[in-house]
Order: sequence, then C-alpha cells, then structure tokens
Amino acid sequence: MDLQYSEADREFRASARAWLKANVPQHSRPAEGFAAARFDRDWQRKLHDHGWAGVAWPKEYGGLGLSGLRQVIWYEELARAHAPHHINTTYVAMMHAGPTVIARGTGAQKAFHLPRILSGEALWCQGFSEPNAGSDLAAVRTRGVVDGDHIIVTGAKMWTTDAQYADYQELLIRTDPTSERHKGLTWVICDMKSPGIDIKPVRTMLQDEHVSAVFYDEVRVPIANVVGEIGQGWSTALATLNFERGLGFIGDQLELYERVNRAIDLASKTRLEDGRLAIEDDGIAQRLAAIKADCIAIRAMTLADIAETDRTGIPGPKGSMMKLMVTGTHKALSEVVGEILGWSFLEFDGDRTAHPWTYDYLWSWVFSISGGTNEIQREITADRVLGLPRSR
Amino acid sequence: MYLAPDGDEVEIASAAAAFVADAMPIDRLHKPDSANMDAPLRELFGEMGWFALAVPEALGGSGLSAVEHALFFREVGRQCGPVDVLAQCLAANTATDDSLRAQIIAGGRGVALLVADGDAHRLIGSADSELGLAVTPEGARLFSLGGIDAEARPALDPANSLHIVGNVPHPFEQREAGGIWQLGQLGAAAMLVGIAEAALDLIVDYAKIRETFGRKIGSWQAVRHPCADMAVRVEAARSQLWYAAAAVKEARGDAAVHLDVAKHMANTAALANTDANIQLHGGIGVTDEHGAHLLLKHALLLSRLFGSKRMLLRRLLDARLED
Repeated sequence: MDLQYSEADREFRASARAWLKANVPQHSRPAEGFAAARFDRDWQRKLHDHGWAGVAWPKEYGGLGLSGLRQVIWYEELARAHAPHHINTTYVAMMHAGPTVIARGTGAQKAFHLPRILSGEALWCQGFSEPNAGSDLAAVRTRGVVDGDHIIVTGAKMWTTDAQYADYQELLIRTDPTSERHKGLTWVICDMKSPGIDIKPVRTMLQDEHVSAVFYDEVRVPIANVVGEIGQGWSTALATLNFERGLGFIGDQLELYERVNRAIDLASKTRLEDGRLAIEDDGIAQRLAAIKADCIAIRAMTLADIAETDRTGIPGPKGSMMKLMVTGTHKALSEVVGEILGWSFLEFDGDRTAHPWTYDYLWSWVFSISGGTNEIQREITADRVLGLPRSR
Repeated sequence: MYLAPDGDEVEIASAAAAFVADAMPIDRLHKPDSANMDAPLRELFGEMGWFALAVPEALGGSGLSAVEHALFFREVGRQCGPVDVLAQCLAANTATDDSLRAQIIAGGRGVALLVADGDAHRLIGSADSELGLAVTPEGARLFSLGGIDAEARPALDPANSLHIVGNVPHPFEQREAGGIWQLGQLGAAAMLVGIAEAALDLIVDYAKIRETFGRKIGSWQAVRHPCADMAVRVEAARSQLWYAAAAVKEARGDAAVHLDVAKHMANTAALANTDANIQLHGGIGVTDEHGAHLLLKHALLLSRLFGSKRMLLRRLLDARLED
C-alpha cells in the first residue's frame, strides 16, 4: 500500500499543468448547438496538435497510451485548470467509438477513422437504445438486411446524444430476423449523412435538445463498415459498455472535488433570505462537508481501482459501484447548492453557461439514467460483485 | 501507487484475521458478562505482539507502520473486539518509560479509554484496567486508575464496559503531538470498516440460502439493491481507509484530512450497513441469538470515538488536499 508517484509521474503532472494553464480557452463554451460542437472540435484539435489527445488510446493508434494512474493525473489537472468538460460532443468518438474500433475494427477502419477522431475532425454519436430497448439493450429491433455488399437498415433509435452534430454513428442492429436477445446483432459504422436518416431532436427537461430520436428508412450501410463480425454485435457493444462503466466517468469523478470546493466558496459569499451567509447555516455547512468527504473518498476509490487495473490489465466490475457513488454525490451537491442560491436557483432559461448550477441539477437525472441506469448498476453489482442469485 | 494490501501486508492481514477470530470470536458476545477482556486474553494478544505493531523495534515493538495497524484493527472490528485493544495499542505508542511500555506491550497491565463528557469522563474498557488513556488531536495522556471512583453504567454495546469517572487524577505520562490521535482515528475507522464489511457478508450469505415466495431472497430486487448500496459504502470507506493509512505511513502533509474523511466514511458505512443488515434479515435480525445487533451496537459506540460526525464535518469544510 503506498501513495508514491514516480519521478516521471510528477514530471507528467507538471508538464500537463503548465500546458493547460497556457492553453485552456479564455472564453466559455457556447451553451448549445453547432457553435458548441465547433468549440469542442477546436479544443480537440488543440489537444491533438500539442500531443495531448487520446490519453487512454494506445500509442500505435496515435494516443498517449497512459497508465490508469497517469490518466487520473491528467483528469485532475483538467479539472484544476477548469478546462472544457470532457463530456461534450467529442465524448462518444473519444471514449466509445474510437476504443471499439481499436479493439474490434479492421485495418482500413482504423486507418480511416482513428486519426479523424483524434484530431476532432469527426464527431460520433451512439445508436444503441431504442424506444423499446433501453436498460434491456438486448431487445434491439432496428433491422439490418444484407443486400450484396450493403446492409439495409430500417428502424428507430432513441436518446441519441448529439445526433445533429455527429458525422458517424456506432449503430447496433438486428441482422438475423429469427434471432433473439444477444444473438444475431451487428455493430456497424453508420455515416450520418446517408440518405434515409431522419433526426428528430427531443426537447428535454433541461430545456435543450441534446438528445434525438433517429429514424432509418432503408439506409444503406456498406458491409465494410461492420465492426467485429456480422451477428457478433453484442460482443462488440460490450467492449464499449464495459469501458463506459469503468474509466468513462473518471473525469467526472475527479472533477467533483473541484466542484464541491466551488460550492463551499459560493456558500461563504452568498446570503440566505434571513441575511446570514449560507455557510453559517449548520445544516448547509454539514451537508457540504459530508459531500466533500464523499468526493475525497471517490478519489480514493478511483485510485484504488486504477491501481488494481494497472496491475491486472483487466477492468473489474467496480465501475458500476463508482457510477452509483458519483451520481448520488453529484445530485446531493446540486440539491444543497439549490438551497444556497435560494430564489435565483429557480431562474433558468436552458443556458448552461449562465445558470450552471441549475443546469447541473437537472443534469443529475441524465447522469443517473444514461450509460446504464442506477438500477441496472445495482443489478450488475449484485450479480458480479456480490454473487447474489440472478433476478432475471 | 497501490491502494490495497500488498506483499507482506496480505500475510499480516490474514494472520490477524485468523488470530482474532480464534481468540475473540464475535459469538462470545452472546454470553453474559462478555465485555471484559480478562488478563489471560490480554496477555495472549501481548505475546503475539499485536499491541505493538506500529511501535519502533528499538522500543520493543514490531517496527511496522500505520498500514499494518489498520489491517489488524479491521479484523478486530469484524469480531466486535473491545475498545480495550485499541486503548492498549495506543498506550504502547504513548508510554515513554521503558518498563511501563514493556508491560503494556506484553498485556501485563490493562488500559481503558477515557473520553471527556462534559465535566466528567467516560471510561470505556475492562473493569480491571489499571491505566486510563485520554487522547485528543493535541496529544495523549496516561493515568493510573488505582483508587479512583468509577461508577458502572449499563452498556448498550455488550463488547465494552462503561463507567463514569468524576475526578480524573493528574496524568503521569503525556505526549503533546497528534501521532496517537492519528493511530486512534485509523484504528477506529478500520474497526468500523470491518463492521461494515461483516454486515454486508452476513446478509449476502443469508440472501443466498433464505427463500421467500419460492425464491432465494437474494434474487429479489428489494434485497439486491440495498445490498449493492451496502457494497458501495464498503468500497468507498475501505478505499479511503487505505488512502489514510498510507498517508500516515508516508507522513504526508494532508494525512489529517484523509484520516477525518476515513473516519467519517467508516462511521457512515458501518451505521448504515448494520442498520440495513438487520432490516434485510427480517425477524431473525432482531433476535439476540443473531449477531446483527452486535455489529450495530458496536458501530454506535465506535462512531463516537476519535471523531464524531459533527466534529469531523466541522474540520473538513476548510480542509485542503495535496496532489
């Protein structure tokens, strides 16, 4: 048991800190729309041009190939520098699609897509969930019919984040109409400019349209775009999902500590209705301190998990427990800030930049539902960590 | 950077688990008057060197670190070991007189914990203890208990005797540094983590065999999901315990912050998990013959020692971490 960083780790932290200090954008990200996507692409391009893109990607594919511990250092420094949040329109490409193509893609797919992802040229979205296949992903029904060297896709996907801005989609379809559940699925790369795709943005409780329903009317996808084998899509999809539940939220985990300190700072400057500073209220002070303790423990959980994974090379099932802890803490923090801000917390027009705390409060449900609901995370924990009898 | 028992630490942890489970099994607490740690048991712990893991070799100890100290107390917690064990161990790290220290390490003289309660003190530990130890973040003081008036009080937790002491004599040894408090916090946090883990283990084992409505209760989401939440609390508290133990071992500048967080997370995990363990067991969980209530009662006592919720949260608000 030790907390020692190597000399090289410390040098890495120092150089990341120095570079971020000089290069973090001076103006904040536009709240929404193509301007926001442009901002994200520019930031990705800047990371790429200066050799900071793809911290988790292997070196042979243009990434930095960092150990888990170095990734922790990188995300801590991102949070410290108030750098653009890593969950933005580049997230699916960098954290899902890229790693999946690396794990299961052909040489041609890798050569074409990976450089475009790393440089911010190509944005991706995810086409997994459907109106009747969310938590139960194996119920996917969107149909793919092989026709010569193409697959003809017809059906509908739901909750597709940033579909409007994406160039490509990681798309899970049923290519064997007689198959059920996990069998007969295929994972393809879908060009979002293909004829027959109709994107209908869904207005959310956040007053934004960050998710869409996507409809496919005989969309032609080249067979060359199949990642993995036809009929083996479940296996390809799991490679991505495991990643999402493991390191995918590492940035959020480590950023929480910065956020709780900002909330404590806010409480020491903001007056309640009765004229006292919020921090002078015992209830608020105690809740903030308890959340701060949770944030510090989340960092220890992250480091414990990373160190284990670095040693074994295999991500464990602890990602689900991490997501439960992080999403719960995120919501608790948003709630207490709501009390600190009083009436102004209720002023909200959908602009995440102008009203960041209210936006984050509303985001807390996105956080605890997307990427596997908290109920699904509890099921995974009960099965894989505790070995309880299956419920289904 | 590695945040789990490793190398020799694994062996020490498993040796501690086997020893404590044999010498001081939690089932002892179903018998009446099980609170006191009698002289032969104390001497057995002493012979094995458990009271002096973190005492330097030159002073008669094992010369190990806060990490082994935490690993040992996690096992003591699992068996609801009395606070005497922690008091004895902290006194071994406090005493400056060589012969006194040797007697404490060997278990020849018993030590109980003294905790301020208004104008009086609470004495927690065996009735035959000759010495009392009071520890604060500022320092530690050792007292002789010979000839003082101690009023016995009924104890909710069957693992420990409780007395009220009106007038505490002058200490005969004291240390003006935070090292003993740190070992105390770490030991108490480790015991609470052991309790939180033991509660989770009990309900998971039961959920695999107990049936209702024709199914194992562990297949019902009403049971599975609270169990998953218990596992999350254990994971958070244990990870933070390892972090704090390593921070003390390496004398990091923010060790005190990590100890406060570790104690807070351990308090929370132990209290919530022992509660859930009783509830999910159903009727059997509230019977005296089951161990579930023992874990809860011991957690209630330990959560008040070396940092209660209010004290810890007050200290944490302005605390700062290092990289």
